[in-house]
Amino acid sequence: MKKYLQIVCLAMITFSVVLLSGCVPAMVTKSAKFPLMYEEKPQSILVLPPINKSTAADAKEYYSTTIQEPLSLQGFYTFPYEVTSEILKMEGIYDSELLYNMPLPKFQEYFGADAVLFTTINKWDMQYLVLAAGLTVEITCELKSTKSDETLWKYTGTVYADLSGGNTGGGIEGLIAKAIITAINASLADYVPYARLANGIALSSIPAGPYHQLHGKDGEVKIIEQKHSQVN
Amino acid sequence: MMKKNLIVFFVVIAFACAGCVPTTLYNWGNYSNTLYHFRKDANDDTRDKHMAELEAIITGSTEHNKRVPPGVFCELGYMHAKKGNKNKAMELFALEKTTYPESAHFVNRLMESIKTVEETGNKTVEKERKS
Repeated sequence: MKKYLQIVCLAMITFSVVLLSGCVPAMVTKSAKFPLMYEEKPQSILVLPPINKSTAADAKEYYSTTIQEPLSLQGFYTFPYEVTSEILKMEGIYDSELLYNMPLPKFQEYFGADAVLFTTINKWDMQYLVLAAGLTVEITCELKSTKSDETLWKYTGTVYADLSGGNTGGGIEGLIAKAIITAINASLADYVPYARLANGIALSSIPAGPYHQLHGKDGEVKIIEQKHSQVN
Repeated sequence: MMKKNLIVFFVVIAFACAGCVPTTLYNWGNYSNTLYHFRKDANDDTRDKHMAELEAIITGSTEHNKRVPPGVFCELGYMHAKKGNKNKAMELFALEKTTYPESAHFVNRLMESIKTVEETGNKTVEKERKS
């Protein structure tokens, strides 16, 4: 009997270890993943107008209000987006296709930027179920050098928020109340706080810039390795 | 899906810990909020509120011996230029350059364009924002 228990215990431990290891994401150091950041040491970054691949037409305007602040807090000089985006509009290169085709040294020439940040809004939408609604924001950030044309850093931040109402008691009244709350929450949903969170996730992996105290010292910091096959 | 949730969870934890660092590099105040409202509904009121916020960031940073966040002097200067306050704009552009020398190349261009506008009477800089 005792032996049987032991076997069960061992089996359970082994099973949970296997289960846990399956969940642990692959880790990689910042310097191993983004070596060019440590070689080129970009100082100034020009944030380009976002590329919107989501179905929400207004995502581009709203998302772009959220990125300059956290990027600067990572220690980089960020050009004022309000000014630079207006200049790009005047020059007729505000749209994503044109931006993608711009030779990157042009941004160095005009703005004096060491690197440009491309942001892609992959998801900015709501999924409705009968009694639930969920919101997803997914942003991919890619920093490219204006000197070497190389990708210096790339990372994706995804945030999912459950907007269903809380527990409203049982019975059919409870269900109806929940459905109403879900509908109200969904209609009032403000994506911007979630976009900020998605930025935070993405930017947590960027090697610190020159104004940050960890500049040049965070090469051994580990981040979760992302495979970029799912996003272009 | 489970795995993805877990990743987000870990990152949020890592992030929360990083947030424990006592001082932040800059004081951005309510910047992204007033900017968001200005974007959502651009009128004199939302514009003035955003300009007031930029002013507050500058005073607040100076009081706390912090560097004014990058781009703030320049953005406020640009907004003044659009209102026709060219001297104020030039003053703020100069401050951006002294605070962040890496901005000089770009800021010089802005200063040049304002000078040209002054000389030719061209109103390009004052073009209404399209959004």
